[in-house]
Amino acid sequence: MPEPVTEQTISVEINGEAYEQEVEARKLLVHFIRDVVDLTGTHVGCDTGNCGACTVLMDGKTVKSCMLLAIQADGSKITTVEGLAGADGELTPLQRAFSASHALQCGYCTPGMLLSATYLLEQNPHPSEEEIRRGIQGNICRCTGYVNIVEAIRSAAEGNA
Amino acid sequence: MLLRQVEYARPETVDEAVRLLASREDARALAGGQSLVNVMKTRVAAPELVVDLNRIKELRSIETGPSGELVLGAMVTYDELIRSPEVQAARPILAEVAQTIADVQVRNRGTVGGNLCVNDPTNHLPPLCATTGATMTIRALEAERTVSSDEFFQGVYLTAVTPGEMLTRVTIPARAAGEGDGWASVTLGKEGTGIVNVAATVSDGRARIAIGCVSATPIVVEAEADEVSVRKAVADASLDPPSDVHASADYRRHLAQVLAWRATSQALEGAA
Amino acid sequence: MSDTQTVTEQQAELQIGYAGTSIPRKEDKRLVQGEGVFADDAKAHGMGYVHFVRSPYAHARIVSVDVSQAEALEGVYGTLTPDEVAQLTDPFFELSTPPGNAIEDYCLAVGKVRHVGEPVVAVVARTRDLARDAADLVEVEYEPLPVVVDARKAQDEDAPVIHEAPGTNVVWSGTFDWGDIDGALSAADRVIRIKELHFDRFSSTPLECSASLVEYDRGTEQFTIRSNHQMPGVAAIWMGPALRVPLDRLRFISQDIGGGFGNKITTHTYLTCCCLLARKLRRPIQWTEWRTDQHSANAHGNERWFHDIEVAVQSDGTMLGFKVKALDDCGAFPRYEPLGCIIWAQVTPGLYRWRNIRVDFTQVCTNKSPVAPNRGYSRMQQLWLTERIVDIVAHELGLDPVEVRKKNYVRADEMPYTTPNGCVYDSGDYARCLDIALELVDYESRKSSRGRSDGKLVGIGIGSTLDSGTNNFGQSTLMNPELQFSGNNEVATIRLDIFGEIVVTLGTVPQGQGHETTASIVVADILGCSPDDVYVRAGHDSYWNSHAGFSGTYASQFAVTGLEAVKGATEKLALEIRRLAAAVLGATPDDIVLKDKMAALKANPEAALPFMACGAIVNANNAVLPPDARDITLNCRHVYVPPFELPDKEKKYGNLTLTYATQVHACVVEIDRDTGVVEIVDYAAVDDCGVRIHPQIVEGQVHGATAHGLGAALHETFAYDEDGNLLTANFYEYHVPHALDMPPLKTGYIESPSPFSSLGTKGMGEGGGAAIHAVCAAIQDALRSAGIPGVVSDSHNPAERVWRLITNPEESSALVEVVST
Repeated sequence: MPEPVTEQTISVEINGEAYEQEVEARKLLVHFIRDVVDLTGTHVGCDTGNCGACTVLMDGKTVKSCMLLAIQADGSKITTVEGLAGADGELTPLQRAFSASHALQCGYCTPGMLLSATYLLEQNPHPSEEEIRRGIQGNICRCTGYVNIVEAIRSAAEGNA
Repeated sequence: MLLRQVEYARPETVDEAVRLLASREDARALAGGQSLVNVMKTRVAAPELVVDLNRIKELRSIETGPSGELVLGAMVTYDELIRSPEVQAARPILAEVAQTIADVQVRNRGTVGGNLCVNDPTNHLPPLCATTGATMTIRALEAERTVSSDEFFQGVYLTAVTPGEMLTRVTIPARAAGEGDGWASVTLGKEGTGIVNVAATVSDGRARIAIGCVSATPIVVEAEADEVSVRKAVADASLDPPSDVHASADYRRHLAQVLAWRATSQALEGAA
Repeated sequence: MSDTQTVTEQQAELQIGYAGTSIPRKEDKRLVQGEGVFADDAKAHGMGYVHFVRSPYAHARIVSVDVSQAEALEGVYGTLTPDEVAQLTDPFFELSTPPGNAIEDYCLAVGKVRHVGEPVVAVVARTRDLARDAADLVEVEYEPLPVVVDARKAQDEDAPVIHEAPGTNVVWSGTFDWGDIDGALSAADRVIRIKELHFDRFSSTPLECSASLVEYDRGTEQFTIRSNHQMPGVAAIWMGPALRVPLDRLRFISQDIGGGFGNKITTHTYLTCCCLLARKLRRPIQWTEWRTDQHSANAHGNERWFHDIEVAVQSDGTMLGFKVKALDDCGAFPRYEPLGCIIWAQVTPGLYRWRNIRVDFTQVCTNKSPVAPNRGYSRMQQLWLTERIVDIVAHELGLDPVEVRKKNYVRADEMPYTTPNGCVYDSGDYARCLDIALELVDYESRKSSRGRSDGKLVGIGIGSTLDSGTNNFGQSTLMNPELQFSGNNEVATIRLDIFGEIVVTLGTVPQGQGHETTASIVVADILGCSPDDVYVRAGHDSYWNSHAGFSGTYASQFAVTGLEAVKGATEKLALEIRRLAAAVLGATPDDIVLKDKMAALKANPEAALPFMACGAIVNANNAVLPPDARDITLNCRHVYVPPFELPDKEKKYGNLTLTYATQVHACVVEIDRDTGVVEIVDYAAVDDCGVRIHPQIVEGQVHGATAHGLGAALHETFAYDEDGNLLTANFYEYHVPHALDMPPLKTGYIESPSPFSSLGTKGMGEGGGAAIHAVCAAIQDALRSAGIPGVVSDSHNPAERVWRLITNPEESSALVEVVST
């Protein structure tokens, strides 16, 4: 019978690297990633779980890391934006498409947006425009109006076999 | 944005979970976290203990019962609901509506049980449970009971699940022959938070309608499945909806009538 | 003179090269990998996290403050209270005339709180969570006071006075009177009276909230402020005197900023608190603004009422002029205000040729969040007014709003056009932009579908707007003759380093506009190299980037001020390189051409000096140079100063802006008759910002401005209850458009080069709120086409408001009266 704890050492794999760290139960996963593990590519944009800037992949699914406790991620595999490019720094087709299509201006929503787009194309390699929009519905951007983001995802999808 | 100190436990079985929930004055079940973690961030809710249900396998099942009824474990996520062939077969309206809840990331974590137990007046599943005749199974330390939707939804954020108990499954009867379901809503932005939402189930020309967002719990009316009767039934229900920044009581009252008929129309089409 | 010809001429000035091509952005590589450095990313050893205790009341006296329990909590480093602030700092500089300038604005609430969310006490602790916990232990006793949230009541006899020192809620007021409106009203065939219009309160809500990491060096007394403030020069002007330190002690550093849109201009209050704390507690201080803080206690856009509008019109739709009483609501503290009381005058007549305009302008304080120059600042409100007037006039006279626009637009052949108050519209062809917009939405075939159809009301609306760029800060003297501001400036430096590296620094502070990229295009085309050869320093550091009084990124001006500075510095460098090569190769500078990072003899390209050699000679080998070439440094700075004069304070007349970009939008809506839900089924945005150095970046700005406008028109509002509580203080209540909310956008463009910038560019980016104007127009058109006499009188039209326009049109139509004279 598991005993309640106020802090615990958790083991998390982030971008292929293992981390072992004691965390308070109350610590949000996004703060663990940003403040403890020092991966600041995952961003905070709101305080009600609406904006998606904190999106990461956890055990293969996109989640908003501001609505998870770090302690819940014990034993999980997480991918953040820093883990998308290849080991040699080779950008993914989505990352290249984002730049080619000018799908980022200030870049603040971009990490979360890339994670959502990556997940979308994994689930649905040839999405329609509506499916693309639905796929990034949980990621707010205030700069681009989403026009070029949709185009970037569409063009990256087209590159898919 | 920053939570108060809290204790955390992660049971592996329902028994452990219930024991933990009963062990503290203010223990809360942590399901998808898409509601609970948010209220903890505002410090409006500051439970002593959160009991993380995410590792309890038996709560994640989707099964079809002997009469074709859908049996959903409380921890089934919206995403699992949407992808489930059993749901498509038995009660597709659930998947159709679940597809419009929030966004992809929320649907990957948010759960059926969470949606029902939070019982926020704008939630999608309570009205659907009310029209489809869903029943909820609640486990306490020593006992288990099953209640109807009417009994389950009691007030704002209040359900039949008392402290120390937890919802384990929801059972939804399969759509009968000649039965159809419908849904209509006006939301904040496309597929956003509900301003008014309405579920309807039609059978034999009779509509059972549940109106959400207008009261603490879904308001259920029944009528002949034609526009005049449906609108009259809603008007006669003397709704007393809240006024807030998004809509006045008057507008909500008006929307309830309009959407009740739209949901019923869709249900009629499905029943044909 | 055709547009194409002029563009070619302009391009010849720059060697035809990269200008006009959408090269990949330099910023992208780090940003797509999550390697950008945003303000909250910065960490320092031993830093303390600050949390602000904020007022729960909209208006209250502070009776007592007790931080003892908070300070006793383990892990708490210290606090800052209003008493300390009142002792250690002076109130921030106020821009208004008396009595408005008597307002006392400190970095914490001294004596009183004046809006919900106003910071009262700061607590610093070892972790974010502890600081938050400690904040709960701070005890503040308040004595609530009556509240004023409706600007229309702020001047009532019994209105609570928010600032005691001036003794009035009026921040500023003045009258602007050009031409002869009374004469025009008498002479007109018709006078259209509009009782009230309301431009609603909203903001661009950049996704990245404000943040800072402030360090204090005890030896040099220098503050290092890592933040995302978008106009650090202005922040310094406020903070230096307040902190009683010389401006040079304030060093501002930023690299990547997650959107500004004018919402990161008035955070000097928080930065001042952090400076005091860094000095007091002897450790770096980290501050993160949360979304709720940004919504309630940073910056809103100006909310403006327009009352008693009278429009003089001829029966054929020629508009002669209008008068209006404008009432601007700046919230609890003016700060950058009352500049907004004059900045609208850059676009006084909108796009139209009327010559008789009178504006009685008053700005008041209310117990709401302060405002800041939100995207479209003050001009957007004025342009919305003129667009609403045009539509209402057209509908009342039974004319097509499209035709009324064409009839009254300033014409291309009248450019440059001097407005009634002396502003000069540099170039543009509004009618042509309108034609393109109409074509993009298939206006000719859609016209017939207006009105009712299948339970939907269909409407087509136009929103035309101007994006005035490169301010003449002399406009501030029209608001306050005592102010010593005029003109504008921007700075760039460029140098050729010892190994031939080309390094550029900018005075600007980009928040996503791609300055590194467009600057490198301008440099490449002058030096004859590739943009890849040009390294533009990322971000801004006030110690290392040369800057001037008006440096920053705001007000749609980079394409002029920033790029002119870059061009000027690069031209100086180019000349120096040619002089150097001439000295070494035994020729004259005119014999030298720059290409492929070489300085070569035109006559004999084999005889060439690589850039690397130039850099090496000047830095490490200058004895080889003849004496008259030893002044060459290959390190050039240029301050661009636009050709402004002081405006006439008496007549409130003069040129207030250098360039005017145009946007014309067309919007087709289908309104659900029974619910009022508006769906945009077709949308086109046509823009003209002169020569486009990087077309993709320009289009991106048009998309973004459109999204902000659609958000404001249909979804976004900062709504308060009567006690001054903000009801939309987070992204759950304040709905911003997501990808499913946005309609597909069609875009078009023309290029009318500006005669006033050497590159022919015009600043753009803010966008002028065209989408707000277009959506309002489309909704009203849908009503009128269906025979419903409703008037769209508010800029914000959520479903319920539209439903009421449909079901109760008398309420809104009562706002308008047509008088035949």
